[in-house]
Amino acid sequence: MLSVKNLCASVDDKQILRGINLEVRAGEVHAIMGPNGSGKSTLASVLAGNEKFTVTDGSVEFMGRNLLELSIEDRARMGLFLGFQYPVEIPGVTMANFMKMAVNEQRKFRGEEPLSAGAFLRMMREKSAVVELDSKLTNRAVNEGFSGGEKKKNEIFQMAMLEPKLAVLDETDSGLDIDALRIVATGVTKLHTNENATIVITHYQRLLDYIVPDYVHVLYKGRIIYTGDKTLALKLEKEGYDWLINDYKE
Amino acid sequence: MAEKEILENIDSEYKYGFTSDIDTETIGKGLNEEVIRIISSKKGEPEWMLERRLAAFRHWQTMKLPTWAHLDIPEIDFQDIIYYAAPKARKTLGSMDEVDPELKRTFDKLGIPLEEQMALAGVAVDAVMDSVSVKTTFRETLAEKGIIFCSISEAIKEYPELIKKYLGKVVPHTDNFYAALNAAVFSDGSFCYIPKGVRCPMELSTYFRINAEGTGQFERTLLVADEGSYVSYLEGCTAPQRDENQLHAAVVEIIVEKDAEVKYSTVQNWYPGDKDGKGGIYNFVTKRGLCRENARLSWTQVETGSAITWKYPSCVLLGDNSVGEFYSVAMTNNYQQADTGTKMIHIGRNTRSRIVSKGISAGKSQNAYRGLVRVAKGADNARNYSQCDSLLIGDKCGAHTFPEIDSHNPTAVLEHEATTSKISEEQLFYCNQRGLSTEDAVGLIVNGYAREVLAKLPMEFAVEAQKLLAISLEGSVG
Amino acid sequence: MGLLEYLREQGVDPQGEGGVLQLANGEEVEVVINPTDNLFSVEEQQRRKILIIHTSDDTSKLLFDVKPYASLQVVDVYLGGCFADVTLRQQSGSVCDVLSVVMHGAIADYTIDLNGKHSSNALRGVFLSRGEEHCKMAVRVNHYYSDCVSNSLVKGVAGEKSIGEFNGMVYVAQDAQRTDACQNSRNIELGGEAKIITKPQLEIYADDVKCSHGATVGQLDSEAVLYMRQRGLSQAQARKLQIEGFVKDVVYSSSEFGEMLAEELNAILEQIQ
Repeated sequence: MLSVKNLCASVDDKQILRGINLEVRAGEVHAIMGPNGSGKSTLASVLAGNEKFTVTDGSVEFMGRNLLELSIEDRARMGLFLGFQYPVEIPGVTMANFMKMAVNEQRKFRGEEPLSAGAFLRMMREKSAVVELDSKLTNRAVNEGFSGGEKKKNEIFQMAMLEPKLAVLDETDSGLDIDALRIVATGVTKLHTNENATIVITHYQRLLDYIVPDYVHVLYKGRIIYTGDKTLALKLEKEGYDWLINDYKE
Repeated sequence: MAEKEILENIDSEYKYGFTSDIDTETIGKGLNEEVIRIISSKKGEPEWMLERRLAAFRHWQTMKLPTWAHLDIPEIDFQDIIYYAAPKARKTLGSMDEVDPELKRTFDKLGIPLEEQMALAGVAVDAVMDSVSVKTTFRETLAEKGIIFCSISEAIKEYPELIKKYLGKVVPHTDNFYAALNAAVFSDGSFCYIPKGVRCPMELSTYFRINAEGTGQFERTLLVADEGSYVSYLEGCTAPQRDENQLHAAVVEIIVEKDAEVKYSTVQNWYPGDKDGKGGIYNFVTKRGLCRENARLSWTQVETGSAITWKYPSCVLLGDNSVGEFYSVAMTNNYQQADTGTKMIHIGRNTRSRIVSKGISAGKSQNAYRGLVRVAKGADNARNYSQCDSLLIGDKCGAHTFPEIDSHNPTAVLEHEATTSKISEEQLFYCNQRGLSTEDAVGLIVNGYAREVLAKLPMEFAVEAQKLLAISLEGSVG
Repeated sequence: MGLLEYLREQGVDPQGEGGVLQLANGEEVEVVINPTDNLFSVEEQQRRKILIIHTSDDTSKLLFDVKPYASLQVVDVYLGGCFADVTLRQQSGSVCDVLSVVMHGAIADYTIDLNGKHSSNALRGVFLSRGEEHCKMAVRVNHYYSDCVSNSLVKGVAGEKSIGEFNGMVYVAQDAQRTDACQNSRNIELGGEAKIITKPQLEIYADDVKCSHGATVGQLDSEAVLYMRQRGLSQAQARKLQIEGFVKDVVYSSSEFGEMLAEELNAILEQIQ
């Protein structure tokens, strides 16, 4: 589904990603961990197409297409979803309108008819239940005045609405209390099928208690330096990164 | 209605830019007493009206063009304008069959069907083309309630007492340069009278259309809501696409008597000129309402058109406990210039006013909010809250805020807040990531920004206004 | 203790042209009394602290030329009905801090030109008018270059039959991206015939800016006055306390002269009927 080869990217002439290699197949869950500043969020942004970053080398193939030559919105319409670490507020734009537009853009992209108002509302109701999102929130402006937990739930709600092929969740667990964490993680698990894949970027092992990864990657200084299974996360939690990154220190 | 559906209908060109091939009767260019006599006699006006026009004209000749606005106005040759143009019509317009079919087609194109059975449910329309009112719908239905809704020319002949009592009461011809010019040469417009205690059962609406070349349009609207009555009034404006600039100088007067309420909504979409700033309407309008005791007047405007806009719908809060409101979205693109805002004059006690102004500047345009909140000496416990926000799209445009607070009473509580912002990269990225194109995202964000004001418009108008904002943004996102 | 009395105590003759004050912390403050047409330069990376006192009704024209990375603190006090025209020209990286106290029907007109990148200006002002005075403070901040910061806060009090007026303008030129400008006008009308006029204006030609302004006109909190009177304070005392609270943050932004300035304001407040 996703094939990343030697991906290098920089921002303001500063090299952040220095050759990422990553294969993600349908049905898989990958966790990417690593200390602060290792390039985790940059990887998510580059995959989504954030123009702040310049890709300097490498290639990314997604669903058989060259991802890097697609616009941000076309990547999204193809089924790449980025769950933001800091979801932005858009004053005055209601969630309902925003999602209706997003869902129908995706349908248009696939050559499908737009959803009727009734069908759309039904879908909103169903999907908001997945993350126990207060349905009143969908009448509010996008992320405006949402608490930290509501913003993250709202990201997963949007993921449920858009049914992505590949979801990249950037630190979705940060700033969540244990209840919100459970809700968000259960939501993600419910949405997981054999047809789609998830990349979870996280700092802490605790999210992985709920979302069980098939692979755990350690990102350090812009490279994946180690890949293991779910037990790696536990080891990292106990022992930290030092045993891994000592060899890479300058 | 979702912005989505609206944005799908984006038409990149000014949609109302067509001209209609209608036989037009005009008089020669220029302005002098003789021209005013001709206008008056063509309209079959009584002598007293002619005297009023002449008095206004004589006063106008002593006046100078106002220059205080933040506008760069090319010199206007007032002798190079045709002051009267009328679609040639049969004598009276008793039934629809007598309206020129081409004229009917014009209004159909504008989305204003004149046939009553086809009319938007519950909206009575007065359609004004160039200098005359061509058709007023639903007159009979309204008449049953005692509501008068007709062209001002008819009102002058049929209701001289009401006209004598109210015309020029709120905006006298001495008020300003353009108001004086209008009082001298106004050709038509709408008159509306809601009798005591009557709640007008439908939205009343006037559509203004400039069609003839080289003409100016000077319409006059007079709206009187008698004690305890209520009316919601809509006004829409369009003009053909022309390389020349055309002058539009209207006056709207509203009298809101004791316990009455008036909502006045405008969607102004005069031709704004092309991408290079060629052509477009010069829109110099004086709008003012007078509120008596417990009266309430609410102005809502969405301004996307005109090359130059100079307009300050105002409330004179004369009666105790009266309320004035002003909600505005003013959007400029390309080379458009707008200097618009409001005046809230608190005279009575316990008067309240609220101002919400949302400016959007794109392209190379200049957009200014100008406001005055004055609290007179006797206006105990006056309250005002003003909020003026500006949104800038692109780095070649300007957004300006010129508020003035003038308080002569220590019990007044007045607040003014303003912010200036732009659409952030983060917002665009977020929308793009959810699959929206940048243009759609900008349309969505702008409509969200203006939502507070759009929500004040009647439903049909709100939809039209949202479309207009999206269309007017075309080409502003690089 | 009033400001003039304090100066005398510190060995600066209030009738003279000024002098230098030695502060307890070892810093020096230049004192200038009734300047007419003066130029003050602050050289690159230098610091200057200046106290200006106007006691006459004359006109005064002051120009501060603040060179790159210099810093300037000005306390500008109007104890006479002076008409002053004050211009600050700030070059890149410079920092200016202005405190202005306008009384006795004075008119103080400030122009702040941010003539270089990364310069910043903070202006705090108070005007207090009584009797039939017309006090006016005008502040025009011109952001000509990118990345500058300006913040103005002016508090006005008008009593009796006086007029208090604030005229503000923030101008942001087309190239002045990343401007951060804030302007606030807060006012209180005391008497039945007092007037406040405020015009906080913005003129913006750049798009990547953070500009905000606010203006309020209000009155004393009558409940608070009642509360204080119930505790035995006179109407005048209660009023004085509230106004002190209102202007405190502005006046005490000068750690050196805050107390003396508050004293000057009080002396006028006590005269207000």
